[in-house]
Amino acid sequence: MTFLSGQPPMVRNLTLLLLAGLFLLPTVVTSPSMLQIIILIIFYAYLTSSWNFVGGFAGVLPLGHSAFVGIGAYTSTLLYLTWGVSPWIGMLVGGLLASLVGLIIGLPTLKLRGAYFALATIAVGEGLRVLVENVEKVGPFEVRGPKGLLINLVEDAPLSAFQFQSKVPYYYIILVMLLAVLYLTHRMMNSKVGYYLAAGGEEPEAAEALGIKVSRYKLIAMAISCFLTAIGGSFYAQMFLYIYPKSIMGLELSYEIAFIALIGGRGTILGPVIGALLLRPVSDLTRIYLSSALPGLHLVIFGLVLIVVMRYQPKGLIVPLRHLFNRHIIPFLSRKNGKSDPVAPQKSE
Amino acid sequence: MALLTVENVTKKFSGLTAVNAVNLTVDEGQIVGVIGPNGAGKTTLFNCIAGALAPSSGSIRFSGHEIAGKKPYEICQLGITRTFQVVKPFATKTVLYNTMVGAFATTNHLKEAEEKAIQVLEFLGLHKKKNVFAKSLTLPERKRLELARALATEPKLLLLDEVMAGLRPGEVTEMLPTIRKINQAGVTIVIVEHIMQAIMNLSEKIYVINFGKKIAEGEPLAVVSDPEVIKAYLGDEYVATQH
Repeated sequence: MTFLSGQPPMVRNLTLLLLAGLFLLPTVVTSPSMLQIIILIIFYAYLTSSWNFVGGFAGVLPLGHSAFVGIGAYTSTLLYLTWGVSPWIGMLVGGLLASLVGLIIGLPTLKLRGAYFALATIAVGEGLRVLVENVEKVGPFEVRGPKGLLINLVEDAPLSAFQFQSKVPYYYIILVMLLAVLYLTHRMMNSKVGYYLAAGGEEPEAAEALGIKVSRYKLIAMAISCFLTAIGGSFYAQMFLYIYPKSIMGLELSYEIAFIALIGGRGTILGPVIGALLLRPVSDLTRIYLSSALPGLHLVIFGLVLIVVMRYQPKGLIVPLRHLFNRHIIPFLSRKNGKSDPVAPQKSE
Repeated sequence: MALLTVENVTKKFSGLTAVNAVNLTVDEGQIVGVIGPNGAGKTTLFNCIAGALAPSSGSIRFSGHEIAGKKPYEICQLGITRTFQVVKPFATKTVLYNTMVGAFATTNHLKEAEEKAIQVLEFLGLHKKKNVFAKSLTLPERKRLELARALATEPKLLLLDEVMAGLRPGEVTEMLPTIRKINQAGVTIVIVEHIMQAIMNLSEKIYVINFGKKIAEGEPLAVVSDPEVIKAYLGDEYVATQH
């Protein structure tokens, strides 16, 4: 928690309060469906934060990240179903595999600029989905094509099986995963890798002249991003205990991650969290109330929101929120503090 | 002792020979100027040394290493850092951040990079602006930032590509002592420049290039009175009518 000590006391207190609130949340929110919605918000914030390593800091726009969610989900699930390998271990194997695939894809494509990289990642993502949909069996692994994989519920499952009757453990797992990835983002931004990525993303020619092998640092970012994304995929598989290619490897998921990042603010620590907080309820509500009449409506809404945000806040909604927080909320609370005892102020971000 | 030796370097662009068999030597501790009219091939030669372009033929040696055809980041790691004529700051980042990117060339630690960057900024008189975003700097400040970032990599040889182009005369006179100060701190400098007066003032030795060829070399005063050089800059008639 060294990064907290550098903050002003007010920010530190608010952050600690917010963290305490998050850890106590399941005692207040007891409805499983409500908790599920919150878990998904955190899950998307996690995926987008993982995406952020390459999409936010390396100056490119990946639009095929669901491929890595899929690699993670399928790896841990296939290892479990075939050999009974604990999904906790499968998760790491999936992460490493995704890193490897990310490096292989990144090697030729990360040199592409702008739209070309985005197009290449769409192609890779879609290619992988079609591939999985058309494969029934590879060696000992039953992939089952478009039918997907079902993980049987085991009664009194041991911790190693990574499945729980209640939603609460999933909540804590994904919360810790999100906090870990945010901390990692913070560490990365304040390291040589972070500085070099920012430099290479902004002015590649100047960066090279300062001794930076830009492509190498982009590959490092890609490997980290793919690893973390795949771990998220394994979590998803264990949470729903059922995966099929369209659910986790489709373009829709890739786009949703990118939308959340762009609207929240790519290349910042909290941008993905803000994006997920704002956009996830939209997708849940449209899915619940309008899915039969207008499937995919949430993506239309995201698109419209994105246009408005890009027009007025091209760096994402984090910018006006940060401004509001630093200029108004902190001074307001500090003023209040001077007079009386702070009465549990809630952080608005 | 020669720090940089350029031997017979030629650069062709599909039919056009931009640099034609140029030789050049730079000794340690010197300030060497490269001048020539527009389109003479100065910047192409400069880019060949810095690695932005690979020469078509010839050899470039830097303290014992053959560097012709190496990538810009490899050349920087060997100890040659360049600046850009059209400055390329990391615009959305602060002056300190920009300089720290350079400083990371010699360290992996954030704190060390920061300390070193601040030293460089103090040296160049930019430390008061350290928290200003690069995009809100004036042109002379941006040129200075370009220098700061390059110096932070601790180069043995600094390649300056028209650091004074676009500056007002008063700003040029402010820049001259800075460049001399960098040199006195032990950095060898090769400077490509349009502004004759500036380069005459600074350089111990000047190379003049025209149509891709070296037409003169020597001390500044000797070079400017060379008829070939006068012809290149002012045309044949001027030489004919001179008494």
